[in-house]
Amino acid sequence: MNREIFYHLNSSRFFFWIFALIFCCQLFFSNHFHGVQAKIEIVPPAPSKQSAAILSFGDNEFLFRILSSRLQNSGDVFAGFVSLKNYNYARIYDWMTMLDGLNNQSRLVPALASYYYSQTQQIEDVRYVIKYLEEHSEKNIDANWWWLFQAVFIAKDILKDLDLALKLSEKLAQNNAENAPLWTKQMPAFILEKQGRGCLAFKAIRNLIEQSENGARKISASEMEFMRYFIKDRLQKLQNQKFNPDKC
Amino acid sequence: MKSIFKYILKNALRDRLYIGVFLALALAFALSIFLGNTMLVEQKQSSAAFIAGSCRVIIVFGMILFVCLSVARAFENKEIEFILSKAISREKFILGYLCGFYLAALLILLILALAIFAITQSNLAATFAWLGALSLEIFIIIAFALLTSLILKNPLAAIMASCGFYILSRLMGIFIISLQSTNNVILQQKPAQIAIKIISLIFPRLDLFAQSSWLNYGISDLQILTTIGLQSLIYIGLLLFMSFYDFKQKQF
Repeated sequence: MNREIFYHLNSSRFFFWIFALIFCCQLFFSNHFHGVQAKIEIVPPAPSKQSAAILSFGDNEFLFRILSSRLQNSGDVFAGFVSLKNYNYARIYDWMTMLDGLNNQSRLVPALASYYYSQTQQIEDVRYVIKYLEEHSEKNIDANWWWLFQAVFIAKDILKDLDLALKLSEKLAQNNAENAPLWTKQMPAFILEKQGRGCLAFKAIRNLIEQSENGARKISASEMEFMRYFIKDRLQKLQNQKFNPDKC
Repeated sequence: MKSIFKYILKNALRDRLYIGVFLALALAFALSIFLGNTMLVEQKQSSAAFIAGSCRVIIVFGMILFVCLSVARAFENKEIEFILSKAISREKFILGYLCGFYLAALLILLILALAIFAITQSNLAATFAWLGALSLEIFIIIAFALLTSLILKNPLAAIMASCGFYILSRLMGIFIISLQSTNNVILQQKPAQIAIKIISLIFPRLDLFAQSSWLNYGISDLQILTTIGLQSLIYIGLLLFMSFYDFKQKQF
């Protein structure tokens, strides 16, 4: 009975001291683990195909938009912004191809690749961007000629790899899209010219003129004028080099 | 029947279903438009997908809560016994409740579709198809929530069962892909395959319903609408007759 009265009279004081002790433990714990920081990755690994299928709950478009937003905002690590040179581009490539699996009709991911991720200071990393754009466009060159052109542009002007640019421009020239301008067909000639292979450039343009004359392709008068000027100019150059243009 | 409709709609007002759901929808709209506008390109398409995806979840879970809690309260307050004491059959009672809940959801859906169309300016036919598919998806969920509320009586159990049913039904696509996949070691084992096969046979294919992509790109395969219609017809019938059977067995 005495014990119960003692407990009744002193329990609140007892609880206060336990509370104070645990509070001190909390302060000690926090102070001790202050240096442990959350691991924030700039570009986390891309979800696998299966994970994406599960996460989508049958609505791929919704997940595509959510994950695209995640990809667009990679690097926003709540402690300032990170330079693109520090991004893991192999992972960026994985993200972009995974997103293409969810929706390959959207312009969002190719636009992010072309206009944003191609701006890295680590020039070699743009190969991943080019690889993605090439793979994305190959599925339907007529619908995606613009993105293939972006790949050519990045390879030529940012990566300065003219062989790669030529390979891509040859693919670009295969498009039959009605809305694609004629320069998409002329692109290999421009790259060849840049490589100093005027003879092949001459040949590429001559093929286009022949296609126009055969009626296989409609080319406007102004475009024809430009191509004739191109041929005339190259002929002059080749003749100055004492080279027979018929051997091209 | 008419009085049951009115009763359910009044219940919706009394439980602040409309205020709660519309507030959540308004928040989802605002966040979706904000998020959509932060995208580099395709801002409208992104907003449309965010709105469609988030609003579907809000309406589905809002209706599950409303159905399960309303039925549990009706049991608790002896409202069900009171209604059944009138000249109304048990089948009519269930049909009245089901249609009343559906009507309550339809009012929200119609306003939602109008708002989506006004904001995203999606294709009208695609928006209409999306609305139709979503209303059927919600009809199935309401029918299931009503059935579990009648069987389980405990509202928490009914809510959990309905949420589980919805999540599993939405995952049916991946279950079927897993069955055809040969990469997964676990799924190559016979018992796992049989279990998944049984689940995929019992649960409806809700993953096919109301795709957000319809609002952005239209419906490329019209066959999907027939599939959705047939699936709904079969599954709503199945749940309805299960409810009839269970309710007939009940003693009050």
